[in-house]
Amino acid sequence: MSKDHSQKKQEVDQYTANVLQNGISRRTFLSRMAVGTGGLAVAGLGVGTASADPLVVGQQYAEIGGATLGFMPKPKEISDAEIASTQTFDVVVVGAGASGVPAALSARESGASVACLQKQATAISQGNTGSGIDLKNSDKSAIEALVNRLMADNQHRSHPGLLREWAYNSGEAVTWVIDRIKKGGGQVVDQGTGPQHGIHGIADKGDRLNFVTSFCGPKPYTTGDGMRALAKTAEKAGVKFFYNMPAKQLIQEKSGKVVGVIAQDRDGKYHKYMAKKGVILSAGDYQNNKAMCDFFIPDLKNFERKQQDRMGDGFAMAYWAGGVIEPVGHTKMLHDFDAGPASMCDMPFLAVNRKGERFVNETVEMSLMNNYLKDEVNQGHYSQVFDADYMTTAKDWPGHLYSPEEIKVYMPEEPGEKPGVFPSITNTYKADTLEELAKKLECDPKTFVASVKRYNELCAKGKDEDFGKTASRMVPVLKPPFYGIHRRMRISTLCSGLLVNTHHQALDADGKEIPGLFIVGNMAAGFYGGVDYPLTVFGLSLGRCYTFGYLAGKYVASL
Amino acid sequence: MKKFNIFNVLIVAVLTVFAGSAMAKSEMLLDQYHFSKGVKCASCHGDAQPREAVTMMKCVQCHNTKKLAEKTKDMKPTNVHNNRHFGTETKCLSCHKIHQKSENACVSCHPRWNFIVP
Repeated sequence: MSKDHSQKKQEVDQYTANVLQNGISRRTFLSRMAVGTGGLAVAGLGVGTASADPLVVGQQYAEIGGATLGFMPKPKEISDAEIASTQTFDVVVVGAGASGVPAALSARESGASVACLQKQATAISQGNTGSGIDLKNSDKSAIEALVNRLMADNQHRSHPGLLREWAYNSGEAVTWVIDRIKKGGGQVVDQGTGPQHGIHGIADKGDRLNFVTSFCGPKPYTTGDGMRALAKTAEKAGVKFFYNMPAKQLIQEKSGKVVGVIAQDRDGKYHKYMAKKGVILSAGDYQNNKAMCDFFIPDLKNFERKQQDRMGDGFAMAYWAGGVIEPVGHTKMLHDFDAGPASMCDMPFLAVNRKGERFVNETVEMSLMNNYLKDEVNQGHYSQVFDADYMTTAKDWPGHLYSPEEIKVYMPEEPGEKPGVFPSITNTYKADTLEELAKKLECDPKTFVASVKRYNELCAKGKDEDFGKTASRMVPVLKPPFYGIHRRMRISTLCSGLLVNTHHQALDADGKEIPGLFIVGNMAAGFYGGVDYPLTVFGLSLGRCYTFGYLAGKYVASL
Repeated sequence: MKKFNIFNVLIVAVLTVFAGSAMAKSEMLLDQYHFSKGVKCASCHGDAQPREAVTMMKCVQCHNTKKLAEKTKDMKPTNVHNNRHFGTETKCLSCHKIHQKSENACVSCHPRWNFIVP
């Protein structure tokens, strides 16, 4: 795409400049090796330290190199004789998830012929909520305040241009997705601004900030079902889906232009899908690839994975095509909205870890709680504990309370139908004594009872001398029955990845567009950057996936 | 040295007896079960050396996934052969191991699904 042949270096934004400087690409790998050798030479010239130094330098670089090569082996050459079939389309989408299916359909609606290759037997996605901004009913200053807030949530490590790309297009995209899911027979509604509890106080008084909040549900219905409905609409519109057909490598011309994909069917045969306009990679995260996780997010070692088969296939393909992966310190998402009510997850009730000890100032949001539970004993487990009076003591807390009657759907011990939840992973309990509750929450009863006693003392004092929680949130656990929600922080997704510009086109190590290669969804870079995915906008993740799939599909079809 | 060897032999003997009694309680590994039904190593792994890795396509040559899902449709609390993650096309080897003991792949996320996997 780049028609700028001038020698002058293109001006790049700070985010992109940083990823180019510090990200992982074939070029940085080589240049790092070179730097290592250079370091050797300098040390040898007598910087003044012991002679063992060069060896240490050499070892360090070898480790980085070894890790890179280990999880991203160079694709093997596949000769034309091994290709069982070749088909040509305008656009080839890799991955049928929350970004890939919208990308395929929007490209098709823009007139392109489209193939969508999927590793699994069906379209796959998770969660229920995908959000966008209702532009007509929002003020620009409020939207910019939200962008600013998201930058802060992301520890200022994301690309403001990409956040704005979501902010100013997501209302249209999410509305479109809702309509097209409905056309495929799916179960989806627009909940508007109602569920957005986290946005209060962002916009100035009088400024309007409203949302289009798509909801595929209630559970057990999820966005997975929604995307399967959307795939039906897409199929009707003429998108060709190829299931059980994992992409293996990109086809790249000598010039660097990406012109297609080689995939492998379940019999082991290779098939070529040529793309006249471009390939859109939307192949998801790498949570099941241990080496990649250990390298990019070592914090994840002890957490359970919610998904399967997420091997980072797309990362390897894009990397070998010259793409740049964001530097170490990728953003993770660990939640549990299923053990108890989602709307009570950020309520600062007493919280204890797996041993039964109080471990944190409970005003820390659930989305960040995993950072206190990374060890191999806790593995992301903790329990929220409250007593019979919670409906009055917590009535002004952030979120929405479920009454003792309503919360029964989250209690595996309660008989009867459990609408609106995943019954196999609910984890809320009630007991008449603290010891009994401790057992149900799988904590040591002695430790648990001691923790509650200490907490109640601090509440009586009105001073949290252990963790500094504000007095208004110090509510004792005194009156039976006692309640506990045992939450398990497991990995929903990882959401850092490959460098793209605001057209979702992949950039190479020189910051130049890789012709024919586009990347969307959770494997694309620049949208997050914090230690965890923020819950400020409920449904931001799926909203971004829908929006960027929708936009990329349109854009590539227009080329 | 001699003593060490005797010790080793004893260990092996104990393990063998233990394994034998466990097997008798219908915990025969699936390779033996297949073998008992006349399915040889080469039936799955091919004749070439080194032996081919076995893909799911080998399993489905004999085991029809749709028919299997129908057969287990009343399974409680859920029909594992037609699930929310992969429909009828879950990789057989996720749970059914051939040369090792099979395992319940559901239970790590769904703690109350105590399926016993043949």
